[in-house]
Amino acid sequence: MIRTNRVSKSFGGIKAVDDVSITFYDKRINGLIGPNGAGKTTLFNIINGFLKPDEGEVYLNDLRIDNLLPYQIAQLGLGRMFQDTRVLGKMTALENVMLAAKNQIGENPLNVFFKYRRMQWEERQIKEEAKRWLEFVGLQDKIYTNAESLSYGQQKLLTLARLLAGKNEVLLLDEPTAGVDPGFIPVILNLLKNLVKEGKTIILIEHNMTAVLEVCDWVFFMDEGKIVSFGLPSEVLGHPEVREAYLGL
Amino acid sequence: MNYLLHILIMCAIYLILALSLNLLIGFTGLLSITHAAFYGIGAYISTLLMVKMGFNFFLTIPLAILGSMIFAVIVALPSLRLKGDYFLLSTLAFQVIVFSILYNWIALTRGPYGIPGIPKPKIFGFEFGEIPVYFILAVVIAFLIFLIFKQLYFSPFGRVLKSIREDEIVANALGKDPTKFKIEAFIIGGGLAAIAGSLYASYVTYIDPTSFTLDESVFILSIIIIGGTGNLKGPLIGTIIMLFLPEILRFLRIPDTIAANMRQIIYGALLVILMRLRPQGILGEYRFE
Repeated sequence: MIRTNRVSKSFGGIKAVDDVSITFYDKRINGLIGPNGAGKTTLFNIINGFLKPDEGEVYLNDLRIDNLLPYQIAQLGLGRMFQDTRVLGKMTALENVMLAAKNQIGENPLNVFFKYRRMQWEERQIKEEAKRWLEFVGLQDKIYTNAESLSYGQQKLLTLARLLAGKNEVLLLDEPTAGVDPGFIPVILNLLKNLVKEGKTIILIEHNMTAVLEVCDWVFFMDEGKIVSFGLPSEVLGHPEVREAYLGL
Repeated sequence: MNYLLHILIMCAIYLILALSLNLLIGFTGLLSITHAAFYGIGAYISTLLMVKMGFNFFLTIPLAILGSMIFAVIVALPSLRLKGDYFLLSTLAFQVIVFSILYNWIALTRGPYGIPGIPKPKIFGFEFGEIPVYFILAVVIAFLIFLIFKQLYFSPFGRVLKSIREDEIVANALGKDPTKFKIEAFIIGGGLAAIAGSLYASYVTYIDPTSFTLDESVFILSIIIIGGTGNLKGPLIGTIIMLFLPEILRFLRIPDTIAANMRQIIYGALLVILMRLRPQGILGEYRFE
């Protein structure tokens, strides 16, 4: 379970996140919506350790994580998909996904020479699994293509495959459908539903309200660094401030 | 024939240096300018152990690697907290410090007088004294180092280094500790560069600090900038070009007084042309920003 307790973060004089206390629902899709500049991505950066909160705490399954480094938080099973794709451009799609497996034997340079066979065996397993995830997101023809040569939508799918290969329990997804071929959006949304059935907890930043309505179990609306409203998607999307932010009404 | 073998021996030595620097720059994205210091530390450790304590050349190599690795840790721990240009400046400072120590610690290194009479490598009574046999030794060692880097390059360790080079934030978000991997790359790169120093010292049988100056670091850097970084072909082609180019000039019947300057001008022109037309180097896959 992911929980923030009175988290605040300021940049200069601007409070990007202001006294936010949220308990995200376990094994559910939690929507985090709000206009640009509301503080959603800053909150993500605080949760996965790229920013330290000025005040407040963050907990993962009752373990305080706001004092940990990002890689330590990632090793606890908290995965992140960034708003911009952040693929590793000069590496192939396959390498991008293979990288996601945690604590690989061959990541220790001594093991590269002294545990060679074990490393090779593990490498084959990781490679096969990475190929399966790439196939799953429809990139089976792009396995050996450098990530920088993929289209924006394909790069999004690649980051999704990378996230899934990391076997994370909690997934922070920053606009996973943005820029993706509209025909593939339902596939992503179905995938998210299936991941929740498998026991994953998803926190989703999304501007596509149709997607939010379709997949989110619970929605938090953020504005000016604060949680303004939360509840079932239909309730929150009916909130006047939300309607003003998204529909201009 | 010995003339050609001499150039090829120097190619083997510089290939080791270029490959080890490539681990830092081409794999990890760390622009370091302290490589001649690692080279010098290797040369001096081997030399002092052979000359003053009578060690066998082959026994001095692991100790030279160890000494250079310890120095790498000393450089890496403060430097890797810095980013970009500041990291570069920090490595420059360490390069200057090592040169100053080699130059001024006369009781140990004889400073500018250098250390003559370095013995040739020997094993089971066989001496690698003649140029053809030294050539075989240098090529075998350079080939082994090449295989080590090849193994690292295609390993999960190499993959993590490349991910750090591409985007440190992503590597972090995937559970990789960038600082730890950078330190490891620095230690391996520095340690293996020391082997080139050991080889050089026992080949020329005389060393002094002027072989391990900032200019030398820049020369090693130029090899991989011209050849290209991020793979194994780049340092190889860069080494061949940078070591054979001045030799080609010898055959152009240019007066000696002009030839040395011409070499510098051609190196400079080559760098400018490549940066303009092919910033990733001739065979490189990574463009250093």
